[in-house]
Amino acid sequence: MEHETTSKSAPVDQVDAPASESRRGFLQIAALTGAVAAVSGRRAWANGDIGFHAKDLSDDKLVDMYRTILKIRWHERTQADEMLTNPDYRGYNHFYAGQEAVATGVCAALRNDGPFEQIDLAYSSHRPSGHAIAKGVDIPKMCAENDFRATGLNGGYAAEMHLSDPDVGFIGADGMIGPSMPIASGSAFAFRARGSDQVAVVFGGDGTYATPHFHSALNNAKLLDLPLIYVLENNLYHQYAHYSYSCPHRDIADAAAAYGIPSRVVDGQDVLQVYNAAKDAVDRARAGGGPSFIEAKTYRYYNHWGAPGATAGELGAFGYDPLAITSFRPEREVRAWMQRDPVDICRNTLVDWDVLDETRAAEIETEVKAEIEAAFAWASEQPLCTPEDGLKNVFADGAVPARQFG
Amino acid sequence: MAQKSWMYSVLEAVQYEMQQDPSMIWIFELTPPVASNPGKPVINLETEFGRKRVTNTGIDENWMASCCLGASLAGSRAATYIPYQGALMPFQVIQNVAGKLRHMTGGRASMPVVWIIEMTGQTPGFAGQHSCYEEDSYYAHVPGVRTVIPSTPYDAKGMMHAALRSPDPVVYLYPAGLRTLTEEVPDEAYEVPLDKAAVRQEGNDLTIVSSGGGMPGVLEAAATLGGEGMSVEVIDLRALKEMDTETLVNSVAKTRHLLTVDQSYYTLGPGAEVIARVAENVEGAKYKRVAFPDAPPPASPEMFTWMRPDAEKIAGAARALV
Repeated sequence: MEHETTSKSAPVDQVDAPASESRRGFLQIAALTGAVAAVSGRRAWANGDIGFHAKDLSDDKLVDMYRTILKIRWHERTQADEMLTNPDYRGYNHFYAGQEAVATGVCAALRNDGPFEQIDLAYSSHRPSGHAIAKGVDIPKMCAENDFRATGLNGGYAAEMHLSDPDVGFIGADGMIGPSMPIASGSAFAFRARGSDQVAVVFGGDGTYATPHFHSALNNAKLLDLPLIYVLENNLYHQYAHYSYSCPHRDIADAAAAYGIPSRVVDGQDVLQVYNAAKDAVDRARAGGGPSFIEAKTYRYYNHWGAPGATAGELGAFGYDPLAITSFRPEREVRAWMQRDPVDICRNTLVDWDVLDETRAAEIETEVKAEIEAAFAWASEQPLCTPEDGLKNVFADGAVPARQFG
Repeated sequence: MAQKSWMYSVLEAVQYEMQQDPSMIWIFELTPPVASNPGKPVINLETEFGRKRVTNTGIDENWMASCCLGASLAGSRAATYIPYQGALMPFQVIQNVAGKLRHMTGGRASMPVVWIIEMTGQTPGFAGQHSCYEEDSYYAHVPGVRTVIPSTPYDAKGMMHAALRSPDPVVYLYPAGLRTLTEEVPDEAYEVPLDKAAVRQEGNDLTIVSSGGGMPGVLEAAATLGGEGMSVEVIDLRALKEMDTETLVNSVAKTRHLLTVDQSYYTLGPGAEVIARVAENVEGAKYKRVAFPDAPPPASPEMFTWMRPDAEKIAGAARALV
């Protein structure tokens, strides 16, 4: 009964999958219906292949993960509504809705609090808001940054695709496809060189497979046993092209395995499955066991950029995106993936495990929604930037000369 | 003859050349070679010529640029469209291979290859990495590669024909901010030379030199200044390499005042080269440079708009100079 969400037909064929040994029965259902079961020979189930670490988490930690998923979800929905309804709103985003369980599950396995020399570092992509929230970035300041405010996270210089908050180990968004992976491997190199047990995580999409950086990062990480975790969020489309245009593998994890790196495919809609794989990878990296690769099969509910096709107050974007010039995402595909929603899967699991009841789960969602609304309200009252400040922060000190007036 | 957009004009030239030459190829990434224009047939190179000749790739601009260079070395003319986000990814193969290959081989390598490289970043809100108006300076510095930057649909088509027919490798910069421009463009093939600047407006008091995305602001400023009684000569560089020194020198020899306008950074931008060439050849002229400061473009519209050269700032600089 409580498994209604996950027992609806998944957007893939069903195949046999190993039954969970877990005392928490949810996994059996998930294993029988999950997208991953059908699409991969590299399943990361609780079948003894890797540990089912999530079962050992405290109730507080599990609720935190649920709360984080909701924060991301409502941040995305609130911002989409702002873009759709508020003509004065100038921010934009590459929305992460649909993929929340990936960032949440990975970052829950990381060390996010403490001195900079001890916390784990996360490198994000051009779709950064979910990673930022999961890593612990201050949400009101992020909202202000995305709205180009002087008191935003990065003073209005960055906006969405360049968000950065080293204080929580969020090295930052990277609007380019490729460069972040070898750079993240450089952070991992430094950890190894100085004897730290920190790990570096890089999030990239299916589009990163085709870049030279993908192969360079994995090859060097393996050669040097670097504590690097490459989280590839395969949401099927890079910009407007299906990943089959740029990758001959059905599972991109197969390519990582060819570099001799432990590689997993996980159901990116199930935060606990993501967590299990991430925890395994983090433990291995901290112990000097080198890099890991996690391919999370997931989906974005909005189009590549902004909110075309979306309706205020409703989740997701449907119909033809005029920018979708290479691959068209059929509405049925979007709706099929929405049947396996990361919020629902997480909530149902926690209810099934008696960590929460439905009433408390709904209360938490109401609390989170209010928190996000307050963040956007605070951001909208922040001061705009001073034009002349654009000449600062080029070097550590001072400002460069104005040249635009001759 | 019809009113045509920048990209329609370009693809019309490419379509013609591909129809004439069955060995020519086109590589793209996420931007399919498709253009439509009111009253004209849709151009779709992928469907017209098939995916053996026209194909897309993953996000790998290094391969796109290299593939086209290799095709040209094998005797097939080749072109690719590299979107702005990867505009400098192919730099190594263009700078350290293509640019040197003819010379290194004693003239034996022939490279009929065109890299269409998009420039963007004129939009407030897209910070840092999503702004690449500075790449004109980088590519213009490379010997052995012709670097051109048309600023009108007419020139875009004519220079594309010339670029595709050239035995030299060509970096063909596309300032994406000009995509909304339209003008009368002939249907038939024609060439605009790859080494000649264009005098857009004649005048006697001041020469303003710019290129690409800087041109609309310069023309607007020139109109304002003309209304104030200043006679302004406007030059559109069009070719950054080889730069048309003669047209520049002749103009400033007449006006004795030179203002350069770049949307790229101040240091070593095209304007610096223009002033140096003129100063070597014209005695006693006065000079001024307007450019984007030596700072990455910030996201904040307040900061960005203040830093970006526009018609008002250009006119102000002109008044201060003359």
